[in-house]
Amino acid sequence: MRKCKNCGGTDIDVDQARGDAVCMGCGSVLEDNIIVSEVTFVENSGGGSSAVGQFVAGDSSGNVPSLGGNFHTGVGRESRAATLQNAKRQINHLGHQLQMNQHGLDTAFNFYKMALCKHLTRGRKSSHVIAACLYLVCRTEGTPHMLLDLSDLLQVNVYVLGKTFLVLARELCINAPAIDPCLYIPRFAQMLEFGEKSHEVSMTALRLLQRMKRDWMHTGRRPSGLCGAALLVAARMHEFRRTIKEVISVVKVCEATLRKRLNEFEDTPTSELTIEEFMRVDLEQECDPPSYTAGLRKQKLKQIEQELAKKVDDIEGEICGYQDEIEVELESCRPKARGIFASYSKDDDVISLASSSILAGDEEGEDDELRAAASHLCSTLSGEDGDGNEQDGDREKVSPTKRPSLALLLGALPTAASLGLPESITKMREEKENDVEAENGELDLSGIDEDEIDRYILNEKEVKVKTELWMLQNADYLKEQKEKEERIAKEKEEGTYKERKPRKKARRREPISASTADEAIEKMLEQKRISTKINYDVLKDLNKSSPKSPTRQTDEASAGAKRSTAARQRKPQLTSPKIGKTISSFGKRLQPLVCAQPSKKLALDQKGLGAPVATPAAPSQNAVVVESGPVAYEDPADEEEEDEEDEHCVSAMQLMGGTDYGYEVDDDGF
Amino acid sequence: MEPSNDVALDIIITNVVSVFRTRCHLNLRTIGLEGSNVIYKPEMGKVLMKLRKPRITATIWSSGKIICTGATSEEEAKLGARRLARCLQKIGFKVRFSDFKVVNVLAVCSLPFQIRLIEFTKNNRPIASYEPELHPAASYRIKNLRSTVQVFSTGNITVTGKPLTQILNFQDFSACLHRAHTDYCISKNYSQII
Repeated sequence: MRKCKNCGGTDIDVDQARGDAVCMGCGSVLEDNIIVSEVTFVENSGGGSSAVGQFVAGDSSGNVPSLGGNFHTGVGRESRAATLQNAKRQINHLGHQLQMNQHGLDTAFNFYKMALCKHLTRGRKSSHVIAACLYLVCRTEGTPHMLLDLSDLLQVNVYVLGKTFLVLARELCINAPAIDPCLYIPRFAQMLEFGEKSHEVSMTALRLLQRMKRDWMHTGRRPSGLCGAALLVAARMHEFRRTIKEVISVVKVCEATLRKRLNEFEDTPTSELTIEEFMRVDLEQECDPPSYTAGLRKQKLKQIEQELAKKVDDIEGEICGYQDEIEVELESCRPKARGIFASYSKDDDVISLASSSILAGDEEGEDDELRAAASHLCSTLSGEDGDGNEQDGDREKVSPTKRPSLALLLGALPTAASLGLPESITKMREEKENDVEAENGELDLSGIDEDEIDRYILNEKEVKVKTELWMLQNADYLKEQKEKEERIAKEKEEGTYKERKPRKKARRREPISASTADEAIEKMLEQKRISTKINYDVLKDLNKSSPKSPTRQTDEASAGAKRSTAARQRKPQLTSPKIGKTISSFGKRLQPLVCAQPSKKLALDQKGLGAPVATPAAPSQNAVVVESGPVAYEDPADEEEEDEEDEHCVSAMQLMGGTDYGYEVDDDGF
Repeated sequence: MEPSNDVALDIIITNVVSVFRTRCHLNLRTIGLEGSNVIYKPEMGKVLMKLRKPRITATIWSSGKIICTGATSEEEAKLGARRLARCLQKIGFKVRFSDFKVVNVLAVCSLPFQIRLIEFTKNNRPIASYEPELHPAASYRIKNLRSTVQVFSTGNITVTGKPLTQILNFQDFSACLHRAHTDYCISKNYSQII
């Protein structure tokens, strides 16, 4: 209950109309010009009346528009609302160009809002994000819009847009259904202007597409390319002369792609059918993907080559056999070499015999040959390190599985055990632990061929030549560097040199999650280093030592009043530790913080501090002048008195002037 | 019919990327002018040096950080890196070989069956993603191992990621692939092969 100051009576009459608060006992006016917060009405130009006020969003920060202040943001608009409005405008603009309906545009706007909440718009061009939102809608609705269309409109690389789109889809957990080329057919058919027969051509093209799908032509390919091929064939089937160029301009693929698709289709057995047969019959057999068949073809070619090589080897073997026989005969006829040369001739024979035996002996099959080569390779590799088990793993892997050993493949996947993997993995892991290589940075020179490395370094003459060449090549760059240096030197002389520091990336701070206000303040203090002059440890104890009790508040009020009268006296500390001169600087710095973090207790403290601290500035020591708002704190010494206020949660109201409403003026005059 | 035979699949490592530090400042111009197999790009501030013996391309920065790419195995990468350091030593810098780390390993594997990417992606959402307009393969990201598997419809797959975990994640991955292929492709394959 409010008490009258003069008589102490509790009977106070508050008149809202006049804005007065008067004590009924003694008649003194306690308040004048009460701020009334009721709904007021204003007359419109049309004669009707409307309520005065603004809509404020629930999540808004509560920025009050300054009267007659900023004209830029408009009345009562804040950054978030401005962003959303801008985005909506852009979405509508882009969407209308794509002929999307309003429902789609609204959905896109919702996607944008979700992206904004998740901070996905940061670091990305807003046009990209908006395009991604629109494309997301297109995919979920199934409209025939391609990412290419969007990138055409924006003149942006389609892969950049695609990346943004993928990130958006992943973060928003939206599973966009895969693109079906059938979706594009009506759109392209319309653009190709088939007139009345448009529907029939579309149906034929759809059938062709389905056939292509079953023939594994469509996996991994751009749907527009397939559409183009299907439409081209369908058009020809219905006697429309559409050239490849026309189709390309509509479908947006290049000629090579279209030709390739047509060729692939040609390879399928369906292409053998006549038009009527195709419309009636659907072949059951499915084909392999074209790249797979191409791979098989290559393998077959290789196989044939190998067989040829084998045959050649056989023939060579025979030839060698004949060669030997002939030579033997000749030898017997030839006069024998004597002396030193005898040994030489013998060596030669040995070599040639060895080579021929190798050739002859290799008729067993390439498998063995390959295995031998593989083991040879493995052994050279194992010369580098000594991990025997890994080599076993390698050998297993290297064993060839090419060839129609597909026939041996029964389609089972290898388990890890079959590959001998777990053992090799554990061995590798152990090795890594044991192998603490040169942590001190010494270069281990084992296994390095010095001569080879010397070859990498040029000698002096070569260096000169290279220097000349390089200077010529990079003349432009060197010139630029020189000019830059001259410019900087000049600026330095003039004194206008601005050193451009690279902007440090703003560190994103995680939002503080704390269960009590104490914790929140502690964490905030840890994160934000406000001043070097603050003794942070003391601040931390600040909140712990003080129990919050509302009963203390009345004491506070009186203490506050006392303090303000004895402005210059320094009171000894009671319970809370000294904070010292820092409060003023605290006060100054925290002023902007106050508005943003009203939940923090410090803010309350600060407000409380702000008011009584103002008192020393007042010239008279006796007068109780309570000022609100930022005041220049000149006398740091007086701030020490304010420590006690931090003990517990005190409302700003009480600190500012006791239990009375409004401000107190000098009582001396009355 | 579930065949019980185990088949060896070739997992071929095609690229190993590694980094190391020389702990000393390098003068790129000197390296650029004295090396016989180097390309110096002053605009980018780096030197590209290519070695022949283990076929390796190294990017050298003036701070002393070096990135080696192109090796076909981890040992080879280390050997190549050491060779490179030796080469720089000979040019005249006080290099020390420290902080060698293999950063990325790329391996390819060829499966004997085709894969229907659309069904595969549907079954494995959201780990797998397939965008035919952008890339012909479906990419399957294994988050805890931080590696990506790119699956092509022909059965070729490429695995990219940290070393050693590569093989482990193939194990995990093969489980889901198994589901994909047994449902759809295996019967077709038999008819083709036999």
